[in-house]
Amino acid sequence: MKADRTIWILPLLVLLTLVAAAVGLQTGAYPLTLEGAWHSLGQLWSGGVPQTAEERVLLDIRGPRVLAGLLVGSALAGAGVVYQGLFRNPLVSPDVLGVSAGAGLGAVIGIFLSLPALMIQVLAFAIGLATVALVYLIAVAVRGRDPTLVLVLGGVVVGALAGAGISLLKILADPYDQLPAITFWLLGSLASIRGTELWNVLPAVLLGLLPMVLLRWRINVLSLGDEEAKALGVEAGRLRAIIIAAATLMTASVVAIAGVIGWVGLVIPHIARMLVGPNFERLLPAAMLIGASYLVLVDTLARSMAQIEVPLGILTAVVGAPFFLWLLWRGRHGWSS
Amino acid sequence: MRLELRDLAFGYPEHPVGRDVNLTVEPGEVLCLLGPNGCGKTTLFKTMLGLLRAQGGEVLLDGQPLNQFTRAEVAQRIAYVPQAQTSPFPYIALDLVLMGRVAHRGVFAGPTQEDRELAMAALDELGIGDLAHRDVTRLSGGQRQLVIIARAVAQAAPLMVMDEPTASLDFGNQVVVLSDVKRLAARGVGVVLSTHQPDQAFAVADRVCLMRDGRIVAMGPPVETLTSERLEDVYGVAVSIERTRSGQIVCAPRYG
Amino acid sequence: MRMDRRQVMFGAGAAALLLPQSAIGSQAFTDSGGRKVMLPDRVQRIFASGGPAAVVVYVMRPDAMIGWPRAIRAEEAPYLLPQVRDLPELGMLSGRGDTANVEVVLQTRPDLIVDFGSVRPTYISLADAVQNRTGIPYVLIDGRFEATASSLRTLGKILGVPERGEALARYTEDLFGRLDKTLAGIPENERPRVYLARGPNGLETGLTGSINTEILERAGGRNVADAGGQRRGIVQISPEQILVWNPDIIVTWDRNFHARIQAGADPVWASVKAVEEGRVYLAPTAPFGWIDRPPSVNRLIGLAWLANIFHGNRFPFDFRQETRKFYKLFYHVELAEAELDTLLQWADGRPPRAPSPR
Repeated sequence: MKADRTIWILPLLVLLTLVAAAVGLQTGAYPLTLEGAWHSLGQLWSGGVPQTAEERVLLDIRGPRVLAGLLVGSALAGAGVVYQGLFRNPLVSPDVLGVSAGAGLGAVIGIFLSLPALMIQVLAFAIGLATVALVYLIAVAVRGRDPTLVLVLGGVVVGALAGAGISLLKILADPYDQLPAITFWLLGSLASIRGTELWNVLPAVLLGLLPMVLLRWRINVLSLGDEEAKALGVEAGRLRAIIIAAATLMTASVVAIAGVIGWVGLVIPHIARMLVGPNFERLLPAAMLIGASYLVLVDTLARSMAQIEVPLGILTAVVGAPFFLWLLWRGRHGWSS
Repeated sequence: MRLELRDLAFGYPEHPVGRDVNLTVEPGEVLCLLGPNGCGKTTLFKTMLGLLRAQGGEVLLDGQPLNQFTRAEVAQRIAYVPQAQTSPFPYIALDLVLMGRVAHRGVFAGPTQEDRELAMAALDELGIGDLAHRDVTRLSGGQRQLVIIARAVAQAAPLMVMDEPTASLDFGNQVVVLSDVKRLAARGVGVVLSTHQPDQAFAVADRVCLMRDGRIVAMGPPVETLTSERLEDVYGVAVSIERTRSGQIVCAPRYG
Repeated sequence: MRMDRRQVMFGAGAAALLLPQSAIGSQAFTDSGGRKVMLPDRVQRIFASGGPAAVVVYVMRPDAMIGWPRAIRAEEAPYLLPQVRDLPELGMLSGRGDTANVEVVLQTRPDLIVDFGSVRPTYISLADAVQNRTGIPYVLIDGRFEATASSLRTLGKILGVPERGEALARYTEDLFGRLDKTLAGIPENERPRVYLARGPNGLETGLTGSINTEILERAGGRNVADAGGQRRGIVQISPEQILVWNPDIIVTWDRNFHARIQAGADPVWASVKAVEEGRVYLAPTAPFGWIDRPPSVNRLIGLAWLANIFHGNRFPFDFRQETRKFYKLFYHVELAEAELDTLLQWADGRPPRAPSPR
């Protein structure tokens, strides 16, 4: 029975995540010996400062990068699961309300104004949030019969505007200086993420995660549709606003530090649903664990395939799109597993 | 728990559907709403549940206006059985029925053991206990409808509103559902259901409400209210009301 | 039959009136793309079709400039002649991000369009396309670093300032000659390993052979970002790769990146050899970039500066003297002491405030 099966799936996924993290820590351009690695971990435990280059690689470069992969992957997958339930549509990704387009616009503005890296991230975060807030306000003002449809359409429109803004800035940007930086940012990368960035972003991600965990049962109910949810006693409109805010907070934070990484929020929830079913109680942790492992493994590939980095957004698309086609083919009988 | 509609006018913001609706539902009573397609039954139900704002008049629960209750409080008092739709997500039947318990728990809570037991009991009561762990998207339309009804039973509200609950059911399951309606009424639940079959009204209803064009044309016990003249008037077909040898009242249309 | 002088002059004058201005002049010229272009006799208005071309047109004929591809920033203005500072922004016809409208080109009534840079087929067909649509002669000149001297001579000839072209070409040949002489005495393994840090995080760089980093290699450094010549262009790398490469010298023109490294805020960069030894150099960018931005003759002063950084006293470089000479010869400006000081401090890692937006 399915209920029994899912009991051991979650611990298995935790194991998978740990394995992915281990693979990520061991892979890289800099040669690390096993004793060197152990010694470094020992240093970390005792709270010492990295001394040798080996320790620095592990603690300052690969460690934060693997953690970033875990954080970004889990946040995007978690937000994806929530959005798919909210919009009752498995084809929805966290970008549906325009958060990635808005964050991209913020970052591009920052690069265009030659601001320091921290300000670029702050702008990305702020404008990402503002974009979704704008979409939500539009939906409230229009107040159509079908709130989710209005939200999606609003997201399409505002997202398109943000995209137009990005295109405009790309034309105005200095082609020898800013344009390559803009292009790389928009393709997504974990390369420049350090410990400080992770610490900055972690509270926002946790703050977004908290309501999703607390309200897990009601999110299930919300996926039945507004009318049924209200009839069952759930304040559908208010719950939706909270959930959108929470998922947007999670997404905007990780996009601000990692750029636009697509396909994770769309494909991973499907895989998770195939494994544990649509019940949010199990689906959320499953999706987050799978998303975390997936992104760590893909990022490890991105930085070890060649001497130069392959942008993450490209790799996730190359892996994700065919998989999505396969899902469509399998799901031609419906979205059930 | 007494439901009262007082001078209720209902409809959608752009177009009104009906007015001057006055009716009450007492605990343990079965009220049947009968009327042709488009006469406003579903719209009336949505207004009763607070899903649509009343355009005039009031809905009262135990004398208190509906809009003074929170959604959870309303859900604790009235359960809704809509027409079953296809859900995009493959929940198992038990999880779907469990969702009926959400109004009884706090905002951050999950289902308790008691909730699970009530959910299973509801499934058993409707004879579909063996479907508990089945994926609802793989069930037949009729089976899905029974799951929705089980959810309303699990909701354990003193009032239940059912929108054409037998519409997609086969003959056997229709009898199952109607028998369950009688059982619920016997337990003290007040049931309002809409139907297209006058026979069903005769079978289970304590009172019948005949509707046309958003107005109530007649209300009262089935035998008095559902006369052949009235049915002909409302539906435009000739019928004869007869009593069978076993004592049941049936409505026999004249075909051809 | 002998015509008298008056008849000849009348005839010539009539002919001059009948023909359109730009067709006067039968000077045929084959440009670097192998295209035969009919040049006008007198070139009074020149349209520069991209960043590199703008630099070279300014250097040759500032009096004939009609606009810039990108407006001049406030901090760049003091290093340019007053008459060009406020010329309008006309957009770019070629290079990445072409934004110039052909109608704008026509509106400005240039006598000649100059392009300086790549002579690959794409740019040849662009040149043909623009020339056919506008009727304005379009010349494509080789912008490779190696070809600088000959390109300057060519430009001098077609722009009507052959002596100037000759003078600049000789400066270039002299510089390249001195450099080659120095490099002849420095074996490969004594040449420093250099990394060009681009972008706000310094993780963007150019592979060996790309136009953005050719100056490093020409100055006798070894670009650490070496993909064996298989690929060129700008790429992103991971911080780990920097540690593996461990360059001796880091060069950048991004002020934010430089400030962050100088402040020692980043433990990863701090452990790179170049940072540990304090060999991170910031290239000035006024009026044009010293090592790129755009990749044109503005790089010549950067070449000398870098050669001195890479090889120390083996390539002597008197900052003030050389900079003053270069800016006078190429950019037509007499640098005041204060301006020289600014450039010196800039190259020393203390730049003026970060650039403001346009």
